[in-house]
Order: sequence, then C-alpha cells, then structure tokens
Amino acid sequence: MDAIRIRDLVKKYGKVTAVEGLSLAVEPGTMFGFLGPNGSGKSTTIGCLTGLLDPTAGQIEILGQRFDAESAAIKRRMGVMPETLGLFDPLYAHEFLAFVARMYGLDETTTRRRVTELLDALELTDTSKTLRDYSTGMRKRVAFAAAVIHSPEVLFLDEPFESIDPAGVALMKQWLRQFTEQGRTVFMTSHVLETVERFCHQVAIITTPGKLVWQGDVTVLANDGAISHDGQEFRALEPLFLHLTGQRYADLNWL
Amino acid sequence: MNFELIGHLVRLRYKLLWAKTRSRNGRIALFMVCYLLLVVLVALFVSGGFAAALVAVRTGKAELVAQAVLSGLYVEAVVAAVILGFGVNAIFSEAQLRRYPLKAQERRVARHLIGILDPFWFLILALELGLVVGLYVSSDASFWLGLIAVLLLLISNYLLARVVALLVERLMQRKSGGAVLLSAIVCLGFLPAILRPVLQGHRGAIVALLHVLSYTPPFAAAATMTRTDLAAFSGLLLQVWWLLGLAAALVALERRPPPRPRAAQTTAISWDTPYDRLAAFFGPRLGPLMAHWLRFYMRNNRFRTIYALALPIAAMLIFAMGRGMGRRSLAGSPFAAALTAFAVLGCMGTAQFSVNQFGYVAGGFRRFFLLPVQPAAVLRAGSYTFMLMSSLLILVGTLLFVLFSPFPFDARMLIMLVGAAVASLFVFLGLGLWTTLFGPRCCDYYNNFGNDLSAAGNTVVIGGMLALILGPRLIARTWPAALAPDKWWVAIPVVLLAAVFYFSSLERAGAMLLARREKLLAIVEGRG
Repeated sequence: MDAIRIRDLVKKYGKVTAVEGLSLAVEPGTMFGFLGPNGSGKSTTIGCLTGLLDPTAGQIEILGQRFDAESAAIKRRMGVMPETLGLFDPLYAHEFLAFVARMYGLDETTTRRRVTELLDALELTDTSKTLRDYSTGMRKRVAFAAAVIHSPEVLFLDEPFESIDPAGVALMKQWLRQFTEQGRTVFMTSHVLETVERFCHQVAIITTPGKLVWQGDVTVLANDGAISHDGQEFRALEPLFLHLTGQRYADLNWL
Repeated sequence: MNFELIGHLVRLRYKLLWAKTRSRNGRIALFMVCYLLLVVLVALFVSGGFAAALVAVRTGKAELVAQAVLSGLYVEAVVAAVILGFGVNAIFSEAQLRRYPLKAQERRVARHLIGILDPFWFLILALELGLVVGLYVSSDASFWLGLIAVLLLLISNYLLARVVALLVERLMQRKSGGAVLLSAIVCLGFLPAILRPVLQGHRGAIVALLHVLSYTPPFAAAATMTRTDLAAFSGLLLQVWWLLGLAAALVALERRPPPRPRAAQTTAISWDTPYDRLAAFFGPRLGPLMAHWLRFYMRNNRFRTIYALALPIAAMLIFAMGRGMGRRSLAGSPFAAALTAFAVLGCMGTAQFSVNQFGYVAGGFRRFFLLPVQPAAVLRAGSYTFMLMSSLLILVGTLLFVLFSPFPFDARMLIMLVGAAVASLFVFLGLGLWTTLFGPRCCDYYNNFGNDLSAAGNTVVIGGMLALILGPRLIARTWPAALAPDKWWVAIPVVLLAAVFYFSSLERAGAMLLARREKLLAIVEGRG
C-alpha cells in the first residue's frame, strides 16, 4: 500500500490548467521532495492532496483510502503545513496549538503536555506575544508544530525550512528523519535543492502546468553517486533540475 | 513637491478600483456605484440642494436655510466617515507609500488627495454645488464665491472627518479607549433629546447657540454663499482659518506616534479560560470551535465596542424615539420604540461580524479545511457563537427593561419585546450566513473602525437596521392595534418563522460552504 497515490490528477481554474494529468506514488517511510519552478502547480497539488482544492479530474489515495475534502477520518491521520501557514493572528501560540490538538481529538492531558513540549523544543516560550507579533520564522515554527502535534502518519510540508534559522532547521530535520524511520511519510516542497538532495529519499520534478517530468531516488547523490538521465550524468540535483525545467539567461545591461 | 509621482498614485488608486470589476462581485459593486450611487444619488443631491436654495430664496431666509443644509451635511459627513468609514478608508498606508521616492510631506499630500477623491466626497460636493447653483439662479448670490466656499467647506469637512477618525482610532488603541468612546457616544446620543426642552423654553439660549455656531465652517460658507457684502469675505477668511487649524491638527496627530501595543497581562499559560468553559456546554465536537470563535471575536477591539454599544443604543432608542413619537400609551408609540429597541438589540451587537464571518480570519481560514471536521460545523459554530453573544444581550436588556420599564409591567408586552429581539436575531443570523458565503470581504482584524463590508454585507446591516427602526414606527401609525398587548401571541409565529428561516439557512449554507471554499479562500485571503 502506498502512503500517497495520485492518478491522472487534473486541476483547472476556469480555462487555465494548473495541474495536467499528474500521476505519482509515494511509499510509506519516504521523505519525498516535490520540486518545480514557480507557478508549476506544486502548491495546487498539495492543495488537492490536503482537501483545500477540488481536483477537476483524477483520483487521490492517502494511506490506501480514497481521499476527498470531506474525508475527515483520513485528515485525522494527516498533518499539513500550508504555504500560507494558516494561523489565527490574534491567538497566542499555545492557544492555537491547543485548538488544533483538540480538533484532532487529543484528550486534554495529552494536549497540554504536547503543546508545552513543542513550545519548549521550538523555543516559542515568549507567551506575551500573539502570533501576529511573531517573526516569520517563529510563525513557521508554530505552523510546523501544528502539523505534527497529533503524530500524523503522513505529513505535507510546503516550503518548511524557508525563513527558519539553522538551529531550528536542524531540529526539524532531526524530527522528520525520526518520523520517516518509524515508517511514516513526509511530502515536502522546497526551492533549496541542496537541502532536498541531502535530506530526501525520493524526488519528483514537475514543470508548468503541473506535468511530471522526472521521479526517482536521490539518495545516490548523498553517497557521491550520479543520476543518469537523457544520456547525461548528474552529480547534483541542481543541474538535473535546470536540465528538466529549462535554464534561462537574460542579460540586463543596465543592472 | 513631486506632483508627477503623486498623480501616478492617484491614477493607480482608480486602476485598482477598476481592477476590482474583473470579478463578479466587483462588477456588481461597480454597477451599484455607477448607477445607484453616482447617477441617481448625484442627481438627487444636486436637485435637493437646488430645491433647498429655491425654498431659501422664496422664504426670504436664504442664509438660514443654507446654514441648516450645510451644517446638517457637514455633521452627517463626519458621522458617516467616522462610524461607517465612508471616505476615510486608507487606500495606501503610510508604510506602503514609503517604498516610493516621496518625501514625508509628499506622502501626506498623496494620501489625503487620494482620500478626498473618494466617491463619497463627490456626493457631498454634489449637494453643496446644487445649493450654490440654486442660490445663483434664484438670487443675486455670486456663483464664484459660492463655488470657492463650497470647495473650502468640503476640504475642511474631509480634514475634520480625518481628525475625528484618527482621534477615535488612537482612543481605541488605549486600554480604556472603548469605554471612553462608549460614554461619549451615549452622551452625544442623548444630547439632542436633553437640549431640546432647554432650548424650547429659552430664546436667549438659541441666540447664544447661533452666535457660537456662526464661527463654524458651514455657517461661514453660508455667509459667503448668500451675502455680497463684507460678511461674504469674512466668511471666506473664517473658512481659511478653519482649514489651517484642522490641517495643523491633522499633521500634529499624524506625527504623534501611536500608543504602544498593550502587552499581555501575564506570561503564564492559561489552559482553562471562560471561553473554553462556556463552549464546553456545546459538546466535544462544537465546543473547541466555539471556544475558538469566542476567543477570536472577544479579542477584537471593534467587536467589543459594537457589542458594548448595543445596550446603550437600545436604551437611547427607547428614550429618543419614545419621546418623539407622541402620547405615552401601551398600544401607541413608546411601545413601538421599545419594540424597535429590542429588535435592534437582538442583532446589533454581532451584525457587522455575522454577515462576514470569515472575513477577519485572513490566512487562518484555510486551517478550517485542513482540520478533520466537516466545514459546515465551522460555519455552524461561528453562527452559534453570535447567537450566544446576542442572547446574553437580550437577556440583560430584558432584565433592565423589567427593572426600569417606562410603562407599567405587562408580561404580554415582554413576550412581544423578547419575540422581536429573538426574531430579528434569527433573521439577521440567517441572512448573515448567506452574505458570509456570497458577499464576503477580506477585512483587517486590527482596524478599529470603518466600513469594510461588501455591498451585500452593507445592504443587510444598514438596510436591516433601517427596516427595524422604521418598521415598528410604520405599524404604530398605520395599524396601532397590532401593537396592543392582547396581540402578544403574534410574537410566537413571527419567532417560529424566523427560526425556520435561520435553521434552514444554516443547513443549506453549511452544505454549500465546501463547494464555495475555493472562491472564499481567494477572497478571504485577499487574492480575489
């Protein structure tokens, strides 16, 4: 059973196609990197996978079950850190996390224990500030805490490490590694190819409009190996990405 | 002064207005603005001003009528700007303008130029111009002097609205600002009713009041419009002084740093708050959502102010309308005033927010669709929260009415009053569900005042309040028997009908929320 399976996913906004016939599968216990240029449909795909958006066509299965926006039982087993974080600005971090935990059905004792532990671990102990007054990095930490507070089986993270300081990133990476070692799955997007290269097991690269152009194992790169594609050898993810998505040059004389 | 760049910004403001018409809601709004507001209202206002001028000349009281029209308009413009936010909503904030190569003074000019070019001020100008033209056509008043007077009056009106709005905003940012504002509004609300008997018995007081008023901008403008002697020029001079004074006050206020945000009272984490305890009565499924909504709205300055204002306004309505509507009898006007007050009390405390339930949530809105809960439950919990809050107001209002009733206590009357409050609450909340889905607007949670509702939201709130204020009055005049205590039973079918409307709306709107979520996400998150 795949943790995530997408078959012929299509998402259109009126006449504009954002995702076109995307199919991929992610095995349990995988750290999966989902890459693509800006506007290629990564967030739209995550939106469809998490119930924010309705696919125009295609089928999504999460943990072996058909998924749609009303699948509350499957959502209970998923954690999501959306692109825009989905925070309620007037709340304090502990209030927000407790609200999320209660909505996932955690009992009061567990809720309080996990909220306290997460706030301590993520250094969010300044309880005099509401989420509005937090820095971007701190807000991101809160959103990450909300995604993991109920120990989900599948985690969707949209640009999880952007704006977070190196210590925070290291901690999150450590947790995510433990997470996948326990057989749980992480599906993440990122534009930092070095991080994806060293951190992920599998990578899918899409181009506009949401077309899969490559999917494969990238662990070879971390062991100084190479990926063969189109008769070429790629020793890093960046040249492969540029090869697949097209490298652009523009010379601005005045700059 | 970089007028070229300021001109580009003014053009950008109108380009943004035009860009809004690309969406369906925007097109509807454009239709409303163009056809209903600009064409019909401008025509009405111009003819209204013109007619007032004709009446003024024919009655031989040109200056007096001009003073009354201009003063009324002046005060109404300030009230509409401060309470409803007409004409003072910032299009570009100071922070946004800082990215352009403009000096501080140029940024100020740009902001206020864009502000005064708001369609609202065109409407005010239309009526005042109508008066000028009317006076010019029907008397020997100077058109050019009148035009200058009206333009100066409009600028001073805008500046005063800005000054008052800024003062209110700063007041609201202070800890006890809401309470101070509340007291001020209550005092101002009762003032005309208190002053009327004082002025009626003392002619000297009226003369003294008129003498004081002669130093105000509308009176100065009236003198310039209607007089041809030195008084016309002294009126102009007085207006210029007012302009300079108001501009200086505005600059001084804008330069003064806003009060520092309130720090949290305590840094200790509190797990079991009154919100959680109250919401726990609604069970494990709705409880956390209701606690969330309670916390979310009770932390909002504007919500707390409007909510706290509901009871004093209801009392004011009973006092002011009851006095103004004739003899005191149970079947007559004072009871109609009480009915109005209770109907307003039923919905006013939460109306602005219930018609745009998700509009203040911004980025948090998408969280509701990620949680393992049916989206309909989110809508239902929000609506129940408003119902809970308004029910508390109705309960307190009823108790106060029983204690301080202006007429002898009659249980049948109380049933009618509570029935009016509950029915208006059900109808408003029902309509609020539909405007939440079909007329949402991305609003700033931290804005302390102003009108940020959509056209649909405004129609429901303003139209609904007008209907509640005028409805009982109309019934009292046309069918007074309907308000007699022996007709108390009418309240029951009215409440039942309203409840059916509310619960069927809740059922159907809840089912539609999921289907409309993509559009709502775009609007609430400020992308649509």
